Amino acid sequence: MKQLNIIWLLLMILTFGTAFISGRDINYATLFIIGIAGLKFILVSFEFMELKKAHVLWKYLILGFLGGFSALLLFIV
Amino acid sequence: METVPVDSKNVYYPPGGILMWIIIFLELFTFGMALVAMVYYGSLERELFHESRLLLNASYGAVNTVFLLTSGFFMAKSVMELKRNHIEKSIRYLWATMFLGCCFLVLKGLEYSLKMEAGLDMNYNLFFTFYWALTFFHVIHVLVGLFILGITTYNLKKNPEGVELIDVEAGAAFWHMCDLIWLLLFPIIYLIF
Repeated sequence: MKQLNIIWLLLMILTFGTAFISGRDINYATLFIIGIAGLKFILVSFEFMELKKAHVLWKYLILGFLGGFSALLLFIV
Repeated sequence: METVPVDSKNVYYPPGGILMWIIIFLELFTFGMALVAMVYYGSLERELFHESRLLLNASYGAVNTVFLLTSGFFMAKSVMELKRNHIEKSIRYLWATMFLGCCFLVLKGLEYSLKMEAGLDMNYNLFFTFYWALTFFHVIHVLVGLFILGITTYNLKKNPEGVELIDVEAGAAFWHMCDLIWLLLFPIIYLIF
């Protein structure tokens, strides 16, 4: 239960971090924003959806999707 | 409540069930491809997408992110309490989850009404075509998620013995999927252009 609270707190910090970065003229802001979104995606899927308890195939599938999607975005941007 | 022991490490039994995870991947793939298309067209018309993005209020998007992530947090707590057979606590967390889901919809509705008043409808330009299509499709998922959670809450209240944990986990997985999709939509639509 305590771990869920920490994950939620981390997600909030990352969300406010994204808001902070997007409002400023920072080099590689897009990279940071997509990176933070990816981290939040992993936290929600592995902790809230309990994917950490699932078979390794499901973990690779979600990480593969995220990796492919992020790479495609960064390539186009 | 039925708590048939399920080995999540088995490839056929991910938390929430294999069918739900197939749906989740199909949804993520669909939204993912649409977002890639949006970014691609944005790279062709950078100025148009940048100016259009400035017409959005990123604060609404950020607050909605907080609503959805916090509702996901309560959903995870609800499942955890259910596993401990604390049904009343689980129901309370389900109500909190649904309340925050409704907060998301109210804020989204406000945002939509402001856009309509300003004449920024789906035909305004390509950016807003993507904006309306993607966010509205997501809103429909949130509505379906709320419906599923509403039925789950009703069943837990009326007949907790008849509720199976795997069904609640499947509903929770659908709700978290709404979080995941929003985590992809928010930075791309509201922030990166």
